[in-house]
Amino acid sequence: MSAAAEILEKPRTQTPVNMASADFAERAAIDRSCRGPVLFFYTSAILWLLAGSLLGFLASFKMHSPEFLDALAPLNFGRIRPAHLNVVAYGWATQAGLGTAIWLMARLCRIPLAKPWILNIAIVFFNVGLTLGIGALLLGQGNSIEWLEMPGYSMFIMFVAFALVAIWGVHMFVRRREGHVYVSQWYLLAALFWFPWLFGTACILIHTVNLGGVSLGAVNWWYGHNVLGLWFTPIGLASAYYFIPKVIGRPVHSYYLSALGFWSLGLFYSWNGMHHLIGGPFPAWLITASIVASFMMIIPVLTVAINHHMTTKGSFHLLKYSPTLRFTVVGAMAYTLVSLQGISMASRQLNQITHFTHYTIGHSHLGLYAFFTMIMFGAMYYIIPRLVGCEWRSPTMIKMHFWLSFYGIILMVAALTFGGMAQGLNLDNPSVSFNAVTEGTIPYLQARSWSGIALTLAHVIFAVHYGMMLFRLGRKGKPTLFVDLPQEAKA
Amino acid sequence: MIVSWVSLLLLGIGVLLACTAVAALFWAARNGQFRNYEKGATVIFGDDEPIGQPTDMVFAPKVRKPKVNKKS
Amino acid sequence: MNSLPKLFLGIFLVFAFAWVGLVALPYLNLGFLQPEVNEEAGTVLPQPRPGLAQLGSKVYASEGCIYCHSQQVRPEWAGSDIERGWGLRRTVPRDYIYDRPVYLGTMRTGPDLSNIGARQPSREWHHKHLYAPRVMSGQYSTMPAYRYLYEMRPITGAPSDLALKFDTGVEIPDGYELVPTANAIALVEYLVSLNRNYSLEEAPVE
Repeated sequence: MSAAAEILEKPRTQTPVNMASADFAERAAIDRSCRGPVLFFYTSAILWLLAGSLLGFLASFKMHSPEFLDALAPLNFGRIRPAHLNVVAYGWATQAGLGTAIWLMARLCRIPLAKPWILNIAIVFFNVGLTLGIGALLLGQGNSIEWLEMPGYSMFIMFVAFALVAIWGVHMFVRRREGHVYVSQWYLLAALFWFPWLFGTACILIHTVNLGGVSLGAVNWWYGHNVLGLWFTPIGLASAYYFIPKVIGRPVHSYYLSALGFWSLGLFYSWNGMHHLIGGPFPAWLITASIVASFMMIIPVLTVAINHHMTTKGSFHLLKYSPTLRFTVVGAMAYTLVSLQGISMASRQLNQITHFTHYTIGHSHLGLYAFFTMIMFGAMYYIIPRLVGCEWRSPTMIKMHFWLSFYGIILMVAALTFGGMAQGLNLDNPSVSFNAVTEGTIPYLQARSWSGIALTLAHVIFAVHYGMMLFRLGRKGKPTLFVDLPQEAKA
Repeated sequence: MIVSWVSLLLLGIGVLLACTAVAALFWAARNGQFRNYEKGATVIFGDDEPIGQPTDMVFAPKVRKPKVNKKS
Repeated sequence: MNSLPKLFLGIFLVFAFAWVGLVALPYLNLGFLQPEVNEEAGTVLPQPRPGLAQLGSKVYASEGCIYCHSQQVRPEWAGSDIERGWGLRRTVPRDYIYDRPVYLGTMRTGPDLSNIGARQPSREWHHKHLYAPRVMSGQYSTMPAYRYLYEMRPITGAPSDLALKFDTGVEIPDGYELVPTANAIALVEYLVSLNRNYSLEEAPVE
């Protein structure tokens, strides 16, 4: 049995860290330097997560019980729904992603976080822009361009924030320590470069050029799909590629495969956008190009799946001990699942049934929650203790968070998938009246509201636990996971 | 669909861009960018967190006491 | 992969490639479409929207109607939209040249509205439906009620021409009338203008 396998097989309590090593001191110093901006991002993200969960629950409830709280205009479904999307996509997911990304960049560049003031300014801009935007949405100033509903001024303020983070990212990379560039860094640099371009182009075309007609539809879904594929996916994969090997203690199975996965992701993903508009008023070549590119996605998706699986193989028992590994592995598996589902949805046959139904919403939550959010939770459970210097106080709260999120999202996706399929089959049958179609969806939508309760509860538990960490109420004194910084490393 | 000379030009530019990307990839391979590649996977480890050692055991496993057969 | 400039070049190129295909090309091909002029028949199609309907399209945006309603009729081989009576033909790019922004939509929690002006030309029906959806569309409708777009006010002088009258389902107290606000009037004007059942050369109506 190899030395590595022997270590992994032994039952153990805590594993002692070699505190005398220079690597340890360097790592501790890097972690410490990240504290301000990362915790700032995370605190904002978690607060938006709570708001977004509440908005999501409200939206869900109104879909099967439209009379609920229907007197006030800001609580109308047509406003709550885009508010929910923008809050969770920009407020929660983007900020959790950025907090994780900057910690990963610092660790992988192996230098302490430089110029934190750039990031702190970015975070302020970001939250101000987003708050103005969400307020505008609720007050009826949304423009109904999905994922880009917020007014120009708030998008511009957020763009400045993105640009600042991108500049910081390049600054860090240029100053990095000599050595190989890790796969996570390719993904993060790509995301930090692609997203401001994406965001900026879309905003200019909408707010300055005042694009209209179907070419706006093309731009809209070029943007919307690329937010998922070239912003959230790279950050999620960067996180998974770091934490899975790091927690298990074994390097990525095939580095060559990760390179293949990276380039094929960039090449194919960005052509997918028009698969949101199959059957719509567009030239056939445009739609077909996106369907073909969607099928080609099988390459990066299988590449990543094989890589992660082979890295984790033989170590699945470690999921029992590490919340980070649990959340990340679930997220990585969800990535494969949601991508394969998405590829199938791009086929004209399936699309004819599922387009315009709740099936699509099930798919989007499988991606943004089961994949991205779960991976973010995993990253946060690893990073936060290393920033605040104490261990999570309550393993029970972590477990409750995990199981509520896990079962919650399974219930949501199942309800919307089966409900959406039924809805689609009914819609496709012209002899079924529209009223009957709607009637058929109600029980599934109610199940989805139950899942919303589970997820909201999970998030409240996580937020409370995080609050405890911020106030240093975690566990101290256990050896290893967190240790006091040696004297020299204390600034 | 209106096929104007502008769209053909842009299509041509797109194809040219794609060819440049492929060429860059070949160049990088020939130039040794991919040599000793697999070593890149190990950069996340170090002396304090070496390969073979898990680094996150929040739910610490209990040490199982060896079962003693009480019947003599 | 270790060099920033080369990594960036690659990242830039893969993205630019798709940008050309999905943003630049469609914009150049479809962003400058003009209405079809038929001199023989004396028609210009589609017609631009009258001012009040144009205002109404802004109300459509601010109330988030697209989150439940689509505005695109798929061809027979892509769905049963035409069979359902949602249009006489599929919609084509030229149908949307006056839509800024365009409301193609991605959900059909409610029916497609591309031709709702043809299916339901009664302004009164639309007002009543917006005020009390379940009274007009049946108990299974999950459409929200837009009561805040309407005003229940005491009748002063002569009753308003615009006042809504319900046979059942909505109680209007004596001496009061239910009138639409300006936003509601504009919105309904917009809804009633939605009609793409005219013939175009690229999409004739059989």
